Amino acid sequence: MTDSPLRRSIGWYRIPILIVAVLTCLLFYLPFLVVVATSWTGTSYIIFPPEGFSLQSYIGVLGDVEWMDAFKISLRVAGIGTVIAVLLGTLGALALTRLRSRAARRWIRTLFIVPMAIPPVAYAVGLYSVSLRATALQDNLGLLILGEALLAVPYVFVMVSSGLSQADPALRPVASTLGAGWPMIVWRVDLPMIAGHMLAGAVFAFAVIFDEVVLSVFLTPVGVKTLPLQMLTASQEELSPQLTAASTLVSMAAVLLLGGYSLFSSRRAARARRLSRKAATV
Amino acid sequence: MSIALSIQDVRVTLGQFEVLRGVSLDAAPGTFVTLLGASGSGKTTLLNVIAGLQHIDSGHVLFDGQNVESRPPRKRKVGVVFQSYALFPHMTVGENVAFPLRAARRPTAERRKVVQEMLDLVDLGTMVNRSPASLSGGQRQRVALARALASDPGILLLDEPMAALDKQLRERMQVEIKRIQQQVGITTVAVTHDQAEAMTMSDLVAIMHEGQLVQIDSPENLYRRPVDEYVAGFLGEANLFPADRQGLLPPGTGDTAVGTAVIRPEDLVVVDPAQAAGHWQVKGVVRLVSFQGSRFRLEMTTPSGQSVVCSLPPHTDASVLVPGAEVTLGCVDPDRIHVIRPAQADQPLKLVA
Repeated sequence: MTDSPLRRSIGWYRIPILIVAVLTCLLFYLPFLVVVATSWTGTSYIIFPPEGFSLQSYIGVLGDVEWMDAFKISLRVAGIGTVIAVLLGTLGALALTRLRSRAARRWIRTLFIVPMAIPPVAYAVGLYSVSLRATALQDNLGLLILGEALLAVPYVFVMVSSGLSQADPALRPVASTLGAGWPMIVWRVDLPMIAGHMLAGAVFAFAVIFDEVVLSVFLTPVGVKTLPLQMLTASQEELSPQLTAASTLVSMAAVLLLGGYSLFSSRRAARARRLSRKAATV
Repeated sequence: MSIALSIQDVRVTLGQFEVLRGVSLDAAPGTFVTLLGASGSGKTTLLNVIAGLQHIDSGHVLFDGQNVESRPPRKRKVGVVFQSYALFPHMTVGENVAFPLRAARRPTAERRKVVQEMLDLVDLGTMVNRSPASLSGGQRQRVALARALASDPGILLLDEPMAALDKQLRERMQVEIKRIQQQVGITTVAVTHDQAEAMTMSDLVAIMHEGQLVQIDSPENLYRRPVDEYVAGFLGEANLFPADRQGLLPPGTGDTAVGTAVIRPEDLVVVDPAQAAGHWQVKGVVRLVSFQGSRFRLEMTTPSGQSVVCSLPPHTDASVLVPGAEVTLGCVDPDRIHVIRPAQADQPLKLVA
């Protein structure tokens, strides 16, 4: 190891810290690794360590109409839900910067974030009773998509708000003295600045919605299943390697999505740093 | 296009605090006015009032005699350079300068032409495609200036334009901004707390103090004939002595004073007490002598405890002026002494030296 600040400042006391860190990592990833390992077992039931190696459960999942339908439904719900969540979250964050009263800003910010802490079951039951009244919302995915989108709005809101708070507060006044009306300010000043944060919010929203199961239980029409719901039912019927194979596939997708995003954004940040360093030496 | 600015008895209250308490100011087209004052004196608020970014409680703002209080910032045709420059970080230099033209829906060809003209004006003609992040502080400021001027505004507003620059660059940019302002011939209002900056750039300096405009005049008149003790002390170094209607009073007889004489350090000289007998003089003990390149700065303390500052030519033999030495200062040219008279001239003025 090189002469890192950690090593210099705390010397050998860092060893226990490192041990705790490694254990935490293991705690995070061991169960996942077990799931991955069991998915390639040659048996028709889940066993660890796996016996033999075969991709039969993967072929089973990918070839199964029920699994594939659930996957497509989830994709559609998460896709549309993400669009709605990004729209609402961004609008909320933008509106908040235009409020004059500081107290009102604080209250509304809290109201936007609190839903994160409300259990999804509460939403689910509430929306379910709505669906009993409104026949237009029965037997389609509308209510589910709406509910999932609402669950994801706070994530987008937090991301976009943090992006807006990093911007120079003088940008909007300067734009208005330069003759820009509000549509131009939103389109040419606000949105380009928070595009990256909107993308981050979208990634999170998509991941949250794609994995969400509670609302699906209550709000999916009869005979339709989202992927998490399909997994839940599958786990209740029998613990087959198909279930772990599907979990592995979903986890891989999530890792690719989030990992790809963080790689992309850190590269962008590095480029910005390089630019400002260059400017400082000019 | 350059407008005449008139501000009439403007009052602004923020929360409980009265930030502007009846400010009036007039500037002819093409004048460079600097609002000078300590922080919290309301100068930035006044600038925002002119830009339309601050709502006023009462009073009037007139551009060329027309009321503009109800006009939003985007319809006032003002060009503002903010302290942070507020360049749009996601646009190139050229796009930043083109922003006001785009807002005014000018055609692309015209936009390109004006952007080039503006960037040439500020000596950044080759930087059109650079990103603001890759520019130095001085370059960013010039881009902000070019952007503020691009849509041919009637008035240019500069909010602490030099605050983010280092000292050397600051002095260069003061001259540069003055050059550009004269070339464009635009009415300009700048805000600063740096008196040297105010004096370098402006035709008129307006001294603000606690939400009021104390005095507005040319830099020279402000320095030579301040209206009160605050202005005298704020702009340059000043020695304040009691005076009556005839002129300076001998030290120690301040009770009959009805005014305050302002003596600038450069108007004082070291005199021989015997030779200067009969003339006004002040005795004291040297506290500090420092060489500052263009002058020796002599600071002495009178028996009554007042501190007096005197500038001596740089070639003076300062070897006898050691701290603790007795020294007598006299005035070279009594005509240059300015006497501030209080409003109620009949009442003797108690001086707190």
